[in-house]
Amino acid sequence: MGTVYVSQDDSFIGKTDERLTVKAEKKQILDVPLIKIDGLVILGRATISPAAVIELLERKIPMSFMTGTGRFLGRLEPELTKNIFVRRSQWDAAGETPKAIHMVQAFVRGKLKNYRASLMRHLRDYPDNDLQKWIDDLERAIDSLATIKAIASLRGVEGHGSAVYWQAFPKLIRADGFSFTTRNRRPPIDPVNAMLSFGYSLLRHDVQGALNIVGFDPYLGYLHTERYGRPSLALDLMEEFRPLIVDAIVLSAINRKAIAPKDFTSEPLSKAISLSNEARKVFLTLYEQKKQSKFKHPVMGRQCTYQEAFELQARLLAKYLMDETDKYPPLVMK
Amino acid sequence: MNEPIPIAALNQYAYCPHRCWRMFCAGEFVENHYTIEGTDLHQRVHTVGENQREETWQIRAIWLKSEQYGLIGKSDLIEEVDDNLYPIEYKRGHKGEWDNDAMQVVAQALCLEEMTGKSITKGYVYYAQTHQRQEIEITSELRNKAIAAITEISQMMETGKMPPAIYGNRCKGCSLFTQCVPMAKEKVSKYKEGA
Ligand code: SF4
Repeated sequence: MGTVYVSQDDSFIGKTDERLTVKAEKKQILDVPLIKIDGLVILGRATISPAAVIELLERKIPMSFMTGTGRFLGRLEPELTKNIFVRRSQWDAAGETPKAIHMVQAFVRGKLKNYRASLMRHLRDYPDNDLQKWIDDLERAIDSLATIKAIASLRGVEGHGSAVYWQAFPKLIRADGFSFTTRNRRPPIDPVNAMLSFGYSLLRHDVQGALNIVGFDPYLGYLHTERYGRPSLALDLMEEFRPLIVDAIVLSAINRKAIAPKDFTSEPLSKAISLSNEARKVFLTLYEQKKQSKFKHPVMGRQCTYQEAFELQARLLAKYLMDETDKYPPLVMK
Repeated sequence: MNEPIPIAALNQYAYCPHRCWRMFCAGEFVENHYTIEGTDLHQRVHTVGENQREETWQIRAIWLKSEQYGLIGKSDLIEEVDDNLYPIEYKRGHKGEWDNDAMQVVAQALCLEEMTGKSITKGYVYYAQTHQRQEIEITSELRNKAIAAITEISQMMETGKMPPAIYGNRCKGCSLFTQCVPMAKEKVSKYKEGA
């Protein structure tokens, strides 16, 4: 199982028998059995045949559309499950409820703990790198979470923790030619931000797909609400995965020199940065490999891939909301 | 009036009430290997028709209904021998360790009794894998069990209240295992998050 990414401009996506085919410049560039596909991401200008769209919807395979640079545009979602009970429990918990507070604490805690773990791992590999003060800062933020019961204040901690992490982030970059001063997007104006934004778009495709399978309404969130202008449970559930998947890939692509500064072009005037076609392919491959990589799930105690973990975390979230479990455990990795 | 209960729900309920809830209340139904094969078998069985085989008169794929118990469903096969009617339920596979298949036969018998006024004393489950017919004697004990299950299912359908997922042996062969994650309750409560 895997996601198909179509990144070649002007390609044509069609369906032949039980297979998805992609043609570009009169050549067949892809031919995969539909049974092996669990997602389709279309980057940039491509055409998809109605027959292929229908087949993908029937098979409950989600499709996301992104610009060539990886900005999320929208999504064609297979029908939601009929499980109205999950959605009802999701709506019942909306607002300043004990469940919402618990979940927001968990999303923020998961994200900040994974941030901290990533700084600590780096410090183990490079002990001379002065990261301790940020690690301590994150530690304090994490410790404060349990006693904070107002969602707005929890958002404040999340904002502070993220700021701390992004201050430390440049120190994790160990290849020449890449610089990172601050997190920026829409449009990202340096290669590191361009890759981060691209990665988060890909992550959103996957997390939103998992939420849909479980029966959630991805647009009702707890941490992300009106304040962020985009109510979204997908963004909430993404938090714990951001450092584990996207930031990790970006750092390893840079530090292992899989992607180099020359792989980017910058637009005149706007300075918007984008990845070359080749580098984009490299990045997509890294992302897909990461998703298929296995680890021991700390709660379930069994091997699973990140791809499976998206759905598992969504199911654990549903179980908490439906009173089947007493807490929601975010995916925290050491 | 309440929605009629699908006869197939009885089988599921006897196997696992939580599974029954997922399938019939939450509308989750994933076709896995087992259910797909099961469906093929049913498509073959469900070609409406009747025929006479020696002294046995057979009718396939007719609707069964009971007003009294609020049941509805399709029978695989009904046979008449010497003026006695027997419902026969087809199953892929072989007899399992759970007697859930019997419940479905009893529910069919309840419908048939109401529809024909005749009393039904036995039925069969036909297991395709072993080509065996298992006789189900419709005892009053089995009837009461089925009637009790019908009451519970109808309450569940009305309130939507979810019976708990209880992890056990039967989870192994359950097509809803991935959705249900039955071990989660215990695992989550024991879990200590790393610092
Ligand atoms: S996995 Fe187990 S508890 Fe869950 S529905 Fe199936 S049999 Fe029931």
